[in-house]
Amino acid sequence: MGTINSAFDIITGALEADQAALNVVANNVANANTPGYTNEVPDWQQNPPIYVSGVQNGDGVTETGSTSQRDRVLEERLDQQQQLASASGARLGALNTMQALFTPDSGSSSATAGDIGADITSFFNSFGSLEANPTDNALRQNVLSTASTLAGDLSNAAASLNAQRTALDQQAAGVASQVNSLTSNLAQLNLEIQSASPHSDAGVLEDQRQQDLSQLSQLIGINQVTTENNGLSITTTSGQLLVSEGQSFSLTTGVVNGVTNFFVGGTNVTAQLTSGGGELGGYLTARDIDIPNTLGSLDQLAYGISTQVNTLNNGGTDLAGDNGNAGDIFAQPTQVAGSAAAMSVVMTDPNHIAAAALGAGSGDNTNAIAMANLLNQTIVGGQTPTDAYSNFVTTLGSTVSQVQAANTAQNASVTQLQTQNDALSSVNLNDEASSLTLLERSYQAGSQVFAMLNTVMAAALNLGDQTAVS
Amino acid sequence: MRLTLLRPEQPELKELLVEASKALAVLDAERLEGLALCCQALARDLAPMSESQRDLLRQQARAAVDDMAVFARVLEATRANVQVMRRLRALRSERLEYGQWGMMEDGRGHD
Repeated sequence: MGTINSAFDIITGALEADQAALNVVANNVANANTPGYTNEVPDWQQNPPIYVSGVQNGDGVTETGSTSQRDRVLEERLDQQQQLASASGARLGALNTMQALFTPDSGSSSATAGDIGADITSFFNSFGSLEANPTDNALRQNVLSTASTLAGDLSNAAASLNAQRTALDQQAAGVASQVNSLTSNLAQLNLEIQSASPHSDAGVLEDQRQQDLSQLSQLIGINQVTTENNGLSITTTSGQLLVSEGQSFSLTTGVVNGVTNFFVGGTNVTAQLTSGGGELGGYLTARDIDIPNTLGSLDQLAYGISTQVNTLNNGGTDLAGDNGNAGDIFAQPTQVAGSAAAMSVVMTDPNHIAAAALGAGSGDNTNAIAMANLLNQTIVGGQTPTDAYSNFVTTLGSTVSQVQAANTAQNASVTQLQTQNDALSSVNLNDEASSLTLLERSYQAGSQVFAMLNTVMAAALNLGDQTAVS
Repeated sequence: MRLTLLRPEQPELKELLVEASKALAVLDAERLEGLALCCQALARDLAPMSESQRDLLRQQARAAVDDMAVFARVLEATRANVQVMRRLRALRSERLEYGQWGMMEDGRGHD
C-alpha cells in the first residue's frame, strides 16, 4: 500500500536521477579533450508502479549507470583502415629512400647510383673510342676508368640497399616489443572489463582498450573477435592468437638466414605478417620484397655485363700478345645473386684489354667493336643493358606511385571514418545522421568532379592525335 | 594556384585533382561542389579551343594522370565508407526501434 510518502519518493527519485544524469554530462565535459574518451549517456530504468489507495500512480525512473556512445563495428573498420594506412606509409618511406638512391646526380663529380644509366653508356662507348686507335694507352686507360666507375656505382647502390635492409630489419624487430606491451595491456583490460562490467559497456576501461587497439593497429595487422562477457580476442590477420580474453601470447623474434623472423607460439609467421598490415607489414614488405627485387635487377645487370665483357676479352688478343687468355676486366661472378655488390674491376694493366680478334695483330679492332656493340645486345635478361636499367627505374617509380596513391586513399579513409566516429560519440542521434549526410554529399560531389575531369582528361589526351581514316 | 588556359580563374588540372582529393578526405562538401562547378566550366570550354590551348591542356592532362589515379582511390575508399556507414545507420535505427518497443514493457509483462 502506497502513501503520500511514496509520492514524495517518486519526486526524490526523479531529482536523484537528474543529478546522476548531470554527473554523466559533467564527466563528458571534463573529458572533452581526453584522448580516446568516448562520450557517455545515462541509462534509465523504469521503476515499479506505486499504488496509492489502490490507484496506480506514475512510477518514475532511476539512473542505473551510463553507456559510452561507441560502435564496435565502426571502430573495427577504423582500425582496419589504420592498419592499411600504416603499412603503406611505412613501405612508402622505404620506397622513397630507394628511389632517391637512383635519382641521377646533378653535376657533382662524386659517383652515385643515379648515374648508373650514364655509366653503362660511357663504359661501352669507351670501347667505341678504342676502335679508332686500339693501341692508344690513354684510350685503354679510359676503358678501365669507365669500367671502374660503373662497377663502383653498382656496388655502392647494392651496399646502400643492403644497409637499408638492415635498418628496416632493426625497425621491424623493434615493433615486436611494442606489440607485446600492448597485447599484455589488452589482456589485463579484458580481465578488468569482464570482471567489472560483463554485460554492459565498461566506459573508461573500454576507452583504454580501444586506444590500445588503435595503437596496435598502427603496428600490426589484427582481427578482433568479441567474446562472452564483454571480452575480446585478438589474432593476427592470418589467425595467430595474440590475446585470448585475459591471456596474451608474445610475438618473439629470431634470426633466420640473416634477417629477423617473427614467431607466435613457435610458429614462424613472418610471411603472414608481411602481408598483414600495420607498420610491421610495411617494413617487412620493403625488407623482403621491394629491396630484394631491386637488388635482383642490379644483380642481373652486373652479372650480364661482367660475364659478357669478360667472355669477349678472353676471346681476343691483347697488346701483350695473349691469345684467348687476356684475362677478366671485371671480377667474374659465380652466380647472379650478389653480383652487383661484388662488382669490381680486377684488370690493372690496360695492355690486357683484348681489342684485337683472336690471333690478329695488335692494330686490329675487331674485338673492341664487338665489346662496344654489347651496348645494343640483349645481354641482361633478354634486354640491352640500358633498357634493363631504364625499365628497372621505371618499375620502381611506378611502384612508388601506386603505393603513394594507396597511402593517400587509406589516410583519407581513416580521416573520414574518424569524423564519423566522432559524430557518433557526440551523443545526439541527429548529429550522427547529419554526419552521414555530409559523407554522402561529399561522395556525390566528388563523383561529379571525377566524372567531369575524366571526360576532360580523356578528351585532352586525344586532342590532336592522328586518327586513321579509311 | 597557377592560372591557366581557357579562363584565367581556372586552375591547372593537377591542382584541381590534388585539391579535390584533399577536400574529399576531410569531407569538405562545399569545396567539392565548388570544384565540380569549376570542372563544368572547363568541360564547357573544351570545344572552342585554339591549337596552343589544346597543347597546353594535353600537357596538363599528362601531368595529372597520377593525381587522377590518387583521386580515384580516394573516391573508391569514400564509396566503401558510405556503404559501411549506411549499413551501420540502418542497424542502429533497427536497434533503436527495438529498444523503444522494449521500453513499452516494464519487465514484468505489463505493457
